[in-house]
Amino acid sequence: MENTFKRSFDSLEELFTFTESFLETESVDTADRHDIHFAVEELFTNMVKYNADGQVDIRLTLERDGDRLLVTLKDADSRPFDVTKSPPVDIYRPIEEREPGGLGLHLTKKVVDSIEYRHSDGCTTIKFSKDLR
Amino acid sequence: MFDIGIGEEGSIFIAGRLDAAQTEKAQAFLDSVEGSATVDFSRLDYISSAGLGVLLRTQKRLMAAGGGLRLVNVSPHINNIFRYSGFDHIFEVQAAGS
Repeated sequence: MENTFKRSFDSLEELFTFTESFLETESVDTADRHDIHFAVEELFTNMVKYNADGQVDIRLTLERDGDRLLVTLKDADSRPFDVTKSPPVDIYRPIEEREPGGLGLHLTKKVVDSIEYRHSDGCTTIKFSKDLR
Repeated sequence: MFDIGIGEEGSIFIAGRLDAAQTEKAQAFLDSVEGSATVDFSRLDYISSAGLGVLLRTQKRLMAAGGGLRLVNVSPHINNIFRYSGFDHIFEVQAAGS
């Protein structure tokens, strides 16, 4: 199941509805649904923020592969930004030393089971898998 | 549908999905909070890292003045996000059902 979404935070509701419809059809557990929605939003908003001037819509593909779910986000008009190499986050720093931001990719890696990044000819492809309960 | 406001018992409630499209509304409301306050999460279905940023920005401002937010009725999946973020060290968090 796949669809394309405009490069805007305003697409988030439509993105959620589309993803939820697939997860509902596949009878995915509530906790897994939360994790999948979380990762999809973080990776999509990352594409919006870091390639705001891209001219094409972002493609989301959702697939069931036995006991796991495969999710692919593709941006065919983007500069390289390797989401798998985000800097480590020290979550134990005191609040005075913490600033908003920088948690999205850290958390995405916590809630998915694998994540791959590829960039070729201006096209970014990010694929993650989630083992289902 | 996202919503934020003051509930019947006088505590702040956050409801629906706090995603990157809703941070402006959430921040505008929380910027009006002073001192210490309780935030009821019982109707919050989802929070993204953008929503965490709103909470952190508010907590830093309130704690600098001696106050802070107490987050109650936090669902298990949001509680996991808090633990992975270290927010359980910088907020008082009460899980749903406890």
